[in-house]
Amino acid sequence: MNTRLLSRGLALALLLGAVPASAQQMSEQQLVGSLRNVTQAAPAVDVGVLVQELEANAGKGVADLPAWHALAQLPQFTLDVEFENDSVGIEPESYRTLGVIADALHGPLLRDYKFLIVGHTNATGDARHNLKLSSERADAILQALTTTFSVPGSHLIAIGVGQELPLEGTDPKAAANRRVQLVNLGIAQ
Amino acid sequence: MKIRFAALGGIMLAASFASAGVGVAQTVSYADAMTMLTRDCGADVKKFCRGINLGNGKLANCLGEHQAQVSPQCTSTLASVIASIQARLAAQASVFKVCASNAAMHCGGVQGEANIVQCLVKTERIDSNACNQAITNAGWR
Repeated sequence: MNTRLLSRGLALALLLGAVPASAQQMSEQQLVGSLRNVTQAAPAVDVGVLVQELEANAGKGVADLPAWHALAQLPQFTLDVEFENDSVGIEPESYRTLGVIADALHGPLLRDYKFLIVGHTNATGDARHNLKLSSERADAILQALTTTFSVPGSHLIAIGVGQELPLEGTDPKAAANRRVQLVNLGIAQ
Repeated sequence: MKIRFAALGGIMLAASFASAGVGVAQTVSYADAMTMLTRDCGADVKKFCRGINLGNGKLANCLGEHQAQVSPQCTSTLASVIASIQARLAAQASVFKVCASNAAMHCGGVQGEANIVQCLVKTERIDSNACNQAITNAGWR
């Protein structure tokens, strides 16, 4: 292995000792624990059908539609990724979250699976704009994971559902609905 | 420069005295690398590269283009982060190759990568130094 890479990596490891432990909401263990929970009875969800259902029901919500309902049964984790207002720029404060996802997806427990990245917005503003924004944001996350962290492209799909799938029991405009879901679709073929 | 090399050399020497074969990890997790990036480059990203993302080298390019204005600490940390990510990727890619004979010898019949890694972690004392170090550097111990 390249010695220079290693000594730089080691230098980073040393610097890390000086970093105060930050209050991180999410750990690799939590993420892996939620995402690995694959059962035999896991429904096979076709992402194409998810998209079809979404397009046919824009503005009406998708929670009760068959493929989206099936998606809710799969092992998943909800994350907070902060973006610059009305842009696809990921805030520096959220870089660590991407790193945790990369750690989890590269690990032996999850590296053989395929994952869906679902971008959500809350219900502030235009529904169609939110759909587009959430899609572009989910794709930005996918780009970072597959290029910066070399997660295999065949193991990730990104879609945006806009404001069409708010958290149950919440006000659709609540900030909590601005979120990212990571869903385990099963073994990558 | 000499002092830094000596310090690194010292750490590496200390590492070699650590428990048989395992040593100190020479890479950090992707999460920890990102924590460093945010800490040392977050302010500069907001100032000079607002809205530009990780991914496809765009952020690194932007910070590079503004190197004259960006803090020296950020420039240095960025290089270390890039190297650290590459080192960890390489370590992870190498584990199953480097540990192939150990896996065959001590974990024969074990199915699935996760179970093989778990077995190799358990058989640390009888696995090769190279295999153990690869697992440590992969962050899988």
